[in-house]
Amino acid sequence: MNPILVGPLTVAGVSTVLALIIGVLDKFLNNYGEVEISINAGEKKLEVKGGSPLLGTLAAENIFVPSACGGRGTCGACKCKVISDVGPHLPTETPFMSPQEIESNIHLACQVKVRKSLEIELPRELFSIKKYKSHVEKIRDLTHDIKEVLFSLDEGEIDFVSGQYVQLVVPPYGEIKESVQRAYSMSSKPSDSKHVELLIRLVPGGIATTYVHKNLKEGDAIELVGPFGEFRVHDTPAAMICVAGGSGMAPFKSIFHSLHETNAFPEKEIWYFFGARTSKDMFYLDELRELQAKWPRFHFVAALSEPSPEENWQGDTGLITDVLDKYLQTKVAKTDAGWEGYLCGSPGMINACVNVMKKNSIAENKIYYDKFA
Amino acid sequence: MKTSPVDREAFQRMAPGIITAAGFLGDDPRSPERIIEEDAIFFDELGLDFDTVADRLQELAKRGEAGLGEPITVGKLLVQSGDARGMLPCPWEDGFFHKNAVSVSPAEIPLEACVEGEDMLIYSELSIHMLRAHHFCQGRGSPFRLEPSLIKRLLF
Repeated sequence: MNPILVGPLTVAGVSTVLALIIGVLDKFLNNYGEVEISINAGEKKLEVKGGSPLLGTLAAENIFVPSACGGRGTCGACKCKVISDVGPHLPTETPFMSPQEIESNIHLACQVKVRKSLEIELPRELFSIKKYKSHVEKIRDLTHDIKEVLFSLDEGEIDFVSGQYVQLVVPPYGEIKESVQRAYSMSSKPSDSKHVELLIRLVPGGIATTYVHKNLKEGDAIELVGPFGEFRVHDTPAAMICVAGGSGMAPFKSIFHSLHETNAFPEKEIWYFFGARTSKDMFYLDELRELQAKWPRFHFVAALSEPSPEENWQGDTGLITDVLDKYLQTKVAKTDAGWEGYLCGSPGMINACVNVMKKNSIAENKIYYDKFA
Repeated sequence: MKTSPVDREAFQRMAPGIITAAGFLGDDPRSPERIIEEDAIFFDELGLDFDTVADRLQELAKRGEAGLGEPITVGKLLVQSGDARGMLPCPWEDGFFHKNAVSVSPAEIPLEACVEGEDMLIYSELSIHMLRAHHFCQGRGSPFRLEPSLIKRLLF
């Protein structure tokens, strides 16, 4: 044999033998067998195969804990309480945990490996979350970077409350070799339980939004998981002060049309502040003005932050927080019922609006939002 | 140049599906070492300095936050600072950074006409950190690639 080949062949041979030994050992040492996951003190008991992360193990049993990163431990969404001792928190978990959460044994389900029987706690609402097969019925451009996408469920119906969200399961495409999930508020009405409508804004560099904007076509099959979220109208007589920008319109579209359809909470006055940069970033203007005309308790305020003179914009101008402040001080009626805030947008927009609302005497515990970051 | 074990592990974490689904290398056929070496040369040729560029990107991201999620004009630039849920670890494991995406483009070009990577820079807190601490601009084809020539044209 050529002596030059002896070295590499020896290394390759030894590596192969070592790989085989590791494979055999792994099969025996890491075989956790069947284990039990007891949820909420035995309310649900699952017999599962051990060895996989808790998040995926639960999903395989049709229990879907919210997750936006596919289990890579980067979204921090899949928090759950683990009663059993699973060891100290991993360095991948601690950035997402408050000291109280660490003290209470809250873990990221994607970072907990099911090595033995476990006792965990989950919100009961998660038991009703399902994965839906659907196809895209219609895609409409609302602005240059926001699409309205209507999904028709292939089977079954979705039971949700206006304000909740679903996770869109984006299949592998292009250089993206694995499926990812992202959360979007539903803009459709709960009464249309065979459809889900989402408003999806193109995020530069975003995997899911790029897929929707560049790849998704009418007729395509796609999966949705949901419904998730606590954002909803509260049953009080207080006036709703709602603020959104961009695709933050979605939950409010669902809420307003649903309230109008059902006449729920008839004592509530509803103020809706929607901000965009220029008139070409504004959408649903006619629809919302029409709703305002036929629904006396609904008040719609649209504002542009940077309109150009040639746009001839007749509405309010300025950042939506400034417009909100002005209206709360001068135009929104102060009644005994008081006000409560409803927000949907970026964390920066939410923080700024919370400050304006607090300044105008809305208690922080009366300001509701789903912060998607 | 010999790759250190720390760098070798960091480069492995840059592959798609480890930290982010898309990874950090795009469709660049070059090795990460090569990308770093060649971008350092480009920076030098263009008279750019990693810290100065990182400072400028950070400043624009901060000013973009005033748009509350909508684009805002900052001088001759249009800046949009958006957030996503969660945090990303640096491939070198020297920090966690909020997931966000800042886009910077010339104000005179309508956003819908901007091409990512040609007229528009996209970056995150992690991009700024990797640029400052590791002189890593990401591979060509990565949406978050900080192309030196575009940095020069847009920011200086």
